Amino acid sequence: MAARGHVQDPNDRRLRPIYDYLDNGNNKMAIQQADKLLKKHKDLHCAKVLKAIGLQRTGKQDEAFALAQEVTTLEPTDDNSLQALTILYREMHRPELVTKLYEAAVKKVPLSEEYHSHLFMAYARVGEYKKMQQAGMALYKIVPKNPYYFWSVMSLVMQAISAKDEKLSQTMFLPLAERMVEKMVKEEKIEAEAEVQLYYMILERLGKCEEALEVIRGPLGEKLTSELQSRERKCMALYRRLERWPECNALAQKLLLKNPDDWQFYPSYFDSLFQLMDQSWSPPEEGDHCSEGSVHHTVAEVVRFVEERIKVEDGKDSRSLRGPYLARMELMHRLRERGYPEENLPGEPLALMVEFFRKFGDKPCCITDLKIYLHLLSPEQHVQFINQLSEAVPLGEQGEEGFAFPDDTKSLQRHLCVCQLSRALGLHHSLDVSGKLRLIGELKAHYRHGLKFGSSALKTELQFSDTYCLMAAHVYIDLWTDTGDVDMVWQSLGLLEEGLSHSPSNAQFKLLLLLLYCRLGAFEPVVDLYSSLDAKHIQHDTIGFLLTRYAESLGQFAAASQSCNFSLRFFHSNQKDTSEYIIQAYKYGAFEKIPEFIALRNRLNQSLHFAQVRTERMLLDLFLEADIILSLEESVKAMSLSSEEDDIPWDSLRDNRDLTVFTNWDPKQRQLTDEHRTRSLEEESVWLRIRSLTLRLLASLTASGHTPSQQNSEISNENGVGDKSSLLHSLLSQLNQTLQTAARIAEKQTQYPLLGPPATRLASALSIGSCQCQAAALQLSVHLQELESAGLDESSELQTQICNVFKSLVVQLQEMLNKCKGDLMEMKESKLKTQPSLLENLVFFVETVSIVMWTASYCAKILRPLKTSLQKKKKKKKDANAALPLVVCGFQELTGSLQDLLTQAVEHIRGQESGILALKLSSLSMEGISQEEASFTKAAMDKVQGSYLRSLQEVGDLLKKRAETIKNLKI
Amino acid sequence: MTSLRPFTCDDLFKFNNINLDPLTETYGIPFYLQYLAHWPEYFIVAEAPGGELMGYIMGKAEGSVAREEWHGHVTALSVAPEFRRLGLAAKLMEMLEEISERKGGFFVDLFVRVSNQVAVNMYKRLGYSVYRTVIEYYSASNGEPDEDAYDMRKALSRDTEKKSIIPLPHPVRPEDIE
Repeated sequence: MAARGHVQDPNDRRLRPIYDYLDNGNNKMAIQQADKLLKKHKDLHCAKVLKAIGLQRTGKQDEAFALAQEVTTLEPTDDNSLQALTILYREMHRPELVTKLYEAAVKKVPLSEEYHSHLFMAYARVGEYKKMQQAGMALYKIVPKNPYYFWSVMSLVMQAISAKDEKLSQTMFLPLAERMVEKMVKEEKIEAEAEVQLYYMILERLGKCEEALEVIRGPLGEKLTSELQSRERKCMALYRRLERWPECNALAQKLLLKNPDDWQFYPSYFDSLFQLMDQSWSPPEEGDHCSEGSVHHTVAEVVRFVEERIKVEDGKDSRSLRGPYLARMELMHRLRERGYPEENLPGEPLALMVEFFRKFGDKPCCITDLKIYLHLLSPEQHVQFINQLSEAVPLGEQGEEGFAFPDDTKSLQRHLCVCQLSRALGLHHSLDVSGKLRLIGELKAHYRHGLKFGSSALKTELQFSDTYCLMAAHVYIDLWTDTGDVDMVWQSLGLLEEGLSHSPSNAQFKLLLLLLYCRLGAFEPVVDLYSSLDAKHIQHDTIGFLLTRYAESLGQFAAASQSCNFSLRFFHSNQKDTSEYIIQAYKYGAFEKIPEFIALRNRLNQSLHFAQVRTERMLLDLFLEADIILSLEESVKAMSLSSEEDDIPWDSLRDNRDLTVFTNWDPKQRQLTDEHRTRSLEEESVWLRIRSLTLRLLASLTASGHTPSQQNSEISNENGVGDKSSLLHSLLSQLNQTLQTAARIAEKQTQYPLLGPPATRLASALSIGSCQCQAAALQLSVHLQELESAGLDESSELQTQICNVFKSLVVQLQEMLNKCKGDLMEMKESKLKTQPSLLENLVFFVETVSIVMWTASYCAKILRPLKTSLQKKKKKKKDANAALPLVVCGFQELTGSLQDLLTQAVEHIRGQESGILALKLSSLSMEGISQEEASFTKAAMDKVQGSYLRSLQEVGDLLKKRAETIKNLKI
Repeated sequence: MTSLRPFTCDDLFKFNNINLDPLTETYGIPFYLQYLAHWPEYFIVAEAPGGELMGYIMGKAEGSVAREEWHGHVTALSVAPEFRRLGLAAKLMEMLEEISERKGGFFVDLFVRVSNQVAVNMYKRLGYSVYRTVIEYYSASNGEPDEDAYDMRKALSRDTEKKSIIPLPHPVRPEDIE
């Protein structure tokens, strides 16, 4: 634990063993030691707090809190107690209590720099900007150190940033901050770089660009030395904002002369040229063009400048920089966009691109560079372009198979680049089936040939020829999606598995394998693949969707829970973690980073994936619980799930998925578009809303799912019931509305690129009828509440209505189950075929059956007392022979049908399991591929087969558990 | 062609193509924030014209000036596979060295797995030499043995006699390094 006050203090000596126990995680001993000490020294408050820390860490939160409050009310001013309480409250996630602690401490010791500074930090932790501003000034008054003054200024800026009213920021907070800094400037008290940074931040936010420029270019700007090119970058941004194009142009030139590879300044250079041309700007007759030096205001000057840079690179002995060559293409692109006459362009795009390839074709990034400018070529030029490039690829003699191979890795890279460009131009896609198969053959041959260059590669290194393998897999996938020939996807999987065996660290192989297995409905192999990617922390947010999208829907519930847990653990630590670094940013004067850290925290808290895993994790817990009657109540309580509360920030959900993680050389028209992204987010949000409403409606079936209305008094009880029913109505109507939106989205049938975002479960859920059936089941609770108040005697109409719903639920479930029938995996015409949608449907069936059973159990809960009171009445009347009430009969029919449905489902699963087990994969003839390849393909098939069996088993087990609890539904 | 600019928090959401490399560690958010809060100038990212992140360097300044141990340290340096062989790592190292020069550092140092020959050779080309070996510096998680690190250094202009890079005769243990 941190600082322990003054060394001489005898209390320190007494407390030390407790600290040591706590540090070593020996909480029990710490508590014992604290008790011992407290017997002798009753007033040693710190011992109490340390005991509380021990209690907190052993799960005794309530005791810990009481003890801590005991000390807090005494308003301690000793360092040990304060520090320990700070730690404790932070561990309790109650940082606001720390502020109270130090508020009291500074009142008692008003001149303590230390306590004031702790108070400031405590406010910072909870984002109390106004109080921070005051605390900073108070500190500065006690100890006039600059940082304290600027903490206060920064707190004003934070008030401006967080103000809901932009006017208030612009007219009050920021001007005040500006005046505070100006005062220091006038008094010549500015010391640190951070202070100038902050000044710049304020002026920039105020839109006072002229003033900001003056600061940056003046003596204060000289303090900006840590970050490279900080002044230049800031000037450039300001020139652009001020539209001072001559300065922008001249500065860009200077910076490009210094580093002709620095891309960020080319756009400014070109933009300023066109702006100056549009304004018909001309330089003054005498003197400098502008304060930054000479200006290039004609196309000719700019072309000359770029060509001079190219000449320098051409003449270099060392490595040439790509910058100037790319800049020429960029200029060409911009000139064309402006309708500049073709004959005056600085060269011919095709020739320039061929030249670029000659120079940089052996670099792996050549494709990334060139693909941005492929649109400069006309479609008629595409083949010519590829032919010209191919001529620049030195290959050896043609071998037996008719392929010529490169002799070294540089030629290999060039050849590869031509393949990549062909694909990016759509030349692969336009091939017919046999053309594609021939292409695959060629790519595979090149892949295997190229392995010889990396025979001594470490397993952490990639093979030089890996990209051929990946591309061949892509062409297989093209064939699969075009023709539906399942063999193509098997061979793609086999090839990627082969690739991985030679290059065990290739993340792209793993990602594509993972995706294909998921698409085939096989989640089991994905677990190992994903874990070998070693994705951690923020990557759970950016690529975790690859797991969570599929695990549950493919019936691998244990893995699904685990995937959600990985992500949840990351998100939960975020809140506490970021606060600490906001404080550090104040300490080190990294003021620019403070709003950035806060934005990061928000981005993570508002993450779509976070909301999804939160919701799905709870749903999974409910689905997986075996005991219908007891566990719903208990689970809802344990998750502190409340039907009233909606903790999802619907209006500010952030899509943090990295949808470009897959390497992809598809032509532009096949790439992911912004439209896809928008649609995907919309679809995800609607699906999430359905799930979240389902969850809240389930919670409302239990007593503990309602936070208020637990009092004993008659009145509040009545209110409670009223609230409950109106909440139920509101949730159900939200669900119905959302389902309507969902239907509209599903109608659109948005097709995402295969390597883009996966579609949600929404469309399938609607088409199998799972959403509708779940909604109908949840809707039932309204009628049941009515029945509860109406009783059984005079409610025959209501009872008929309820019975009709029972019947309809059974019909719907039966229809769903029918849609699960068919063979998940079968051999047909010597091909191994799969129907993963059957598995997904089965999972929908399980989820829906669970929900129906919960409503049934709720129903039983309501019917039981009604039936009992009815029987009592009947006994009195000696009318025991009268028929059972309609609703009771209907309910008995329902449970009987549910039993029957579950039996059917379990039998179906058993049939599938034995069918899949009986498949003789070894009897498949694999034509057209080598024995080695066939073995990898078979291995992939085995994995899929194994995964199906596992999914079936998990689903079957769950259904069996459900079936066992049906008898508890008897009334 | 590269834009070199300060690394920002939003880059954490886009660095998968760099960090899915087996030798590049993805740290917890606090680790990155600590660097961004304390040494923002030492955390630089390279961006391609198409917006892809190409690579980044993360470093810090530390050590006692009085003992002539004030120096720049390279914590992480990684370049995505498709942007290798462009001299980008060298460029990023050059920038870190320049920042360290400006701060008056005596040298720049870094740790590298002894097995990572590609990196060791690159650092040698950039003027770094092995100052000492740190035994079992990298802990392995998958049951394989822990791995040693080279502590490599390059003297900056302030260390005129290049005292900081005289190799130590014996390897050291992780707990003995500061």
